[in-house]
Amino acid sequence: MEAPVVLSGEGLTMRFGGIVAMAEVSFELRRGEILGIIGPNGAGKSTLLNIVTGIYRPSSGEVWLEGERLNGIPSHRIVSRGIARTFQSSRLFTDLSVLDNVIIGRHSRTRSGVFDAIFRRGRADRELAESAAIAEELLKGVSRDLFDQRHRAAGELPQADRRRLEIARALASEPKVLLLDEPSSGMDDADTDALMDDIRAICAARPELSMMIIEHDMRLVAALPHRVMVLDYGQKLADGPYEEIRRIPRVQEAYLGRKAAQHA
Amino acid sequence: MSTQSISTASAGAFSVSGLMIVVASELAGAAFLREFLLAEDWRYVVALLAAFGVALVVMQSVPAIERRIENAFAAQRRAATIVAVLLVFAFPFALGGNTYALHLCVIAQLYAVLALALNFQLGSANIPNFATGASYGIGAYASALLALNFGVSFWLALPAAAIVATLSGFLLGLPSMRTRDSYLALVTIAFGVVVHQLLNNLEFTGGPNGLVGIPVPELFGHSFASPLVIFGVQLPSQANFYYLSAVLVAISILFAGRLHNSRVGLAWNALRADDLAARCQGINTTWYKVLAFAVDAFLAGFAGTIYAFYVGYISPDNFTFLVSVTIMTMVIAGGMDNILGVIVGAFLLTLLPEKLRAFSDYRILFFGVTVIAFLMIRPQGIFPQRLRRYGGH
Repeated sequence: MEAPVVLSGEGLTMRFGGIVAMAEVSFELRRGEILGIIGPNGAGKSTLLNIVTGIYRPSSGEVWLEGERLNGIPSHRIVSRGIARTFQSSRLFTDLSVLDNVIIGRHSRTRSGVFDAIFRRGRADRELAESAAIAEELLKGVSRDLFDQRHRAAGELPQADRRRLEIARALASEPKVLLLDEPSSGMDDADTDALMDDIRAICAARPELSMMIIEHDMRLVAALPHRVMVLDYGQKLADGPYEEIRRIPRVQEAYLGRKAAQHA
Repeated sequence: MSTQSISTASAGAFSVSGLMIVVASELAGAAFLREFLLAEDWRYVVALLAAFGVALVVMQSVPAIERRIENAFAAQRRAATIVAVLLVFAFPFALGGNTYALHLCVIAQLYAVLALALNFQLGSANIPNFATGASYGIGAYASALLALNFGVSFWLALPAAAIVATLSGFLLGLPSMRTRDSYLALVTIAFGVVVHQLLNNLEFTGGPNGLVGIPVPELFGHSFASPLVIFGVQLPSQANFYYLSAVLVAISILFAGRLHNSRVGLAWNALRADDLAARCQGINTTWYKVLAFAVDAFLAGFAGTIYAFYVGYISPDNFTFLVSVTIMTMVIAGGMDNILGVIVGAFLLTLLPEKLRAFSDYRILFFGVTVIAFLMIRPQGIFPQRLRRYGGH
């Protein structure tokens, strides 16, 4: 029996002025599934992530999360519904500590406001201490090395650790769906291998978590996702297991380039 | 066994020397302030400034000293607070009845509150708000009007004015959220100008003449206009307001510290670093920015009320755009998002123009040069922002 659909998009279209960045793209993501998204630059991969996370409002089409329509819901509320993301060029809070970054990731799971912070100090402190404890556990789970550096400023971390931290921060909101935008960009092969192990460990610890990963590194695309969706010029070209989609000539042409396609 | 006793012994030695460091640095700070306040000769003022500069340079070039002091304060927080409270209490006695020095202390403390208020925005959330002076004015006028027209006492006018100022902060915050960066700064500048113009032209605010004859506050039958007698020592009447504004500074520090080390402070820091990433962590950035405006206006309203009742006469010219710029300079020079830094900045920039009277015609130039110098030489301010500590780290 197949797992139920968690996240789906129906006929998603995005126009910026006269430019169509995305045309009639539909997709489904099942519980516990990893969906890879590939396509050349400008194919609309990041646009899709921005639509799902509410940063863009689609010109037409609908996004559904477990039967709830997400269109028009501001991005900060979408996080509390259960969708977290990372960014292509890591966007950490560089002047804050590693631990603070992850604690901020728990914003949607905590409640204390100005009044609590000033007049109900015990409650606010307890909540923050709890967040700090959860954040430390998360860091430990993602990478022991990162945990040891938790009191350093996030901006001092090397590139690979920044990506890990971004993933830990996203996981802090206890998402149902995690969106990773090119997690391996700027990494060498050894770092990418380590990243893949980290992602596998995260999935093993959270069998319910669904993921969408935008990637360029074909080794990662071949190894991690259960299914791969190919985008090109804002349209969906193919959708299926990696072994199937890599055989489609238009995919080879669109993604690997015309020359490579001829050689293949 | 032996190693354990050694480690306890060294921990004990650490706490004793830590306490000494705390007491010594607080005494040094108070002594420096006293010298500065009582200095008559401008050459002595310059020498004091030079000493201050040297201390800063030493701290910057030998980070170990800075860390040692910082750790001592972190380990001895309660002792540090008690000593600070005692020093603030005893300070007026050390001024030898110098009313002018005491007056400067009151003004500096009010500016410290204003700078702490602006720090929520400029420091924590990087919102360039040029309207803190306007909120200060709204607080002052609201309380003065309540007292003059309805006979409301100072103690009731204080919270009422803060609420009026907070509402005006929301009013300013909402339209500001449609803009960002320099445009946001422009909206706040416009707000400040509008407030000044309204105070200048409205009938009930007394127009350019302002409001005169604001009654002197009383507490348990003691008028704040009469000298204060403590332990048989008679202090000038300014001491009443000195202690009042000191309490306000203490409350502001408490507010600032608690908010900084809370979910709210973290959210402000997050949107300062990266607005989009903050939204994607579930932070309603618009709400938190408006909140920063409201908190800023709330504290500024308090400061405005005390100012109005202290001087007894207010006019629109007390709350011009220049006041906002002055407050902003204090935050930038003192250190963004650092409570101690902001207070030091406020004292320094209140007292310097008074002490270097020869340059008083160049006050605006002085502030401009200060900002440019700090942005070039030490952009993080005198005391830079620190990473938060959890569980003793």
